[in-house]
Amino acid sequence: MANRRCLHTLSRRAWTLFSTNTSIPSLRTLLSLPIQPNKPIASQFGRGVTTRCPHPRYFSSNSESEDVSEDDDDEDYDEEMDDSGEDESVGNSSASGLKREYSPEEREAEAAAIGYKVVGPLERSDRVFKPYEAVFAVVQIGSHQFKVSNGDCIFTERLKFCEVNEKLILNKVLLIGSSTQTIIGRPIVPEAAVHAVVEEHALDAKVIIFKKKRRKNYRRTKGHRQELTKLRITDIQGVEKPEKIVTAKPTKAAEKKPEKVPVTA
Amino acid sequence: MALRGVWQLQKLIVSYSDWGGSSRGIRAFMELHLPAFKEKNPQLEVVDELIRGQHPHLKGFYRKTPSLCAFTAKCFCKVQGRIYFAECTGNKNQRTICVKNMDPEEILLHATRLRNALGRKVVKLKTRHVTKHPSVQGTWTTDVKF
Repeated sequence: MANRRCLHTLSRRAWTLFSTNTSIPSLRTLLSLPIQPNKPIASQFGRGVTTRCPHPRYFSSNSESEDVSEDDDDEDYDEEMDDSGEDESVGNSSASGLKREYSPEEREAEAAAIGYKVVGPLERSDRVFKPYEAVFAVVQIGSHQFKVSNGDCIFTERLKFCEVNEKLILNKVLLIGSSTQTIIGRPIVPEAAVHAVVEEHALDAKVIIFKKKRRKNYRRTKGHRQELTKLRITDIQGVEKPEKIVTAKPTKAAEKKPEKVPVTA
Repeated sequence: MALRGVWQLQKLIVSYSDWGGSSRGIRAFMELHLPAFKEKNPQLEVVDELIRGQHPHLKGFYRKTPSLCAFTAKCFCKVQGRIYFAECTGNKNQRTICVKNMDPEEILLHATRLRNALGRKVVKLKTRHVTKHPSVQGTWTTDVKF
């Protein structure tokens, strides 16, 4: 049925075009023109003259005989064809594993929306793994917030656009603190950056989702493994870090006062 | 996977049969995707193995010796004078994935997962945040005065 609908639309529109010169070879050449399946079906049918059916195999040699117009129903058939066409395109994409090709700008935009930025692969010459510093930050990735410090490991939802052994900058920082200074963001601290390295993309342990309705003969078992990314935090920037040498006591008392003011504010 | 910059998957054995139909996917994988996979991972030792009469599988071997940090050339576990091997020890782990009757793309996905993983035992996470220093400004108690 779908082939006939497609041909009806095509032949109805082609009828006006070829009304003066309807020869079978020319109609066949129109039908055999190259088809671009990636274009949305709606736009194809929106164009008046250059409409093409998305699937060449629907064409038959009896196209001339089916020109008898059922014009009243053609518009409804158009909409149904659009829906079925879109469903097929969606089905094809899910069959190929939802592999959408992202352009670099789209990747950056989506990554920035989640809250991180890919800087680049980790080089052997980088001295990234430093000893512990007494600085912490509250960072947000996606919808989860973590209080991180240097050398911590964080498990987040799978980050799509980064590979293992790549450096990241997490730019959604809500609070930074050290032993001398605390900065509270509204809602984020603009000049702050938290550097991290992707350690692992792995699957979590399997959880079994078991549903049962008692006395109703209904029981379902489903297994689920969540995809996680493990990040190791390497550096926190944006706050004054304490010096390692022990400072004298009067300077410590003076420094503690500015720490108190932002907290109470 | 890389622990402090050191890749944990050392060896990948691709076992297949040249006759069986369940190995069709992995034979196609070896022609199409395996060369590119090898080039992307020069640190990984990929070995082909012909096993006749058996279903195909992928075997991954994870690092056995303690992995020194690739970037400071010393084990971080020795910072405080004591030796903690918790992070540095490799797990001497083997992971086998049966790839019978799979498409080449699925096999590539499984091989990539093996490469991305740490090799550690898969247990349910206690916390999503693993830290050795939970407090920076000092843990609050009722005696703390600001």
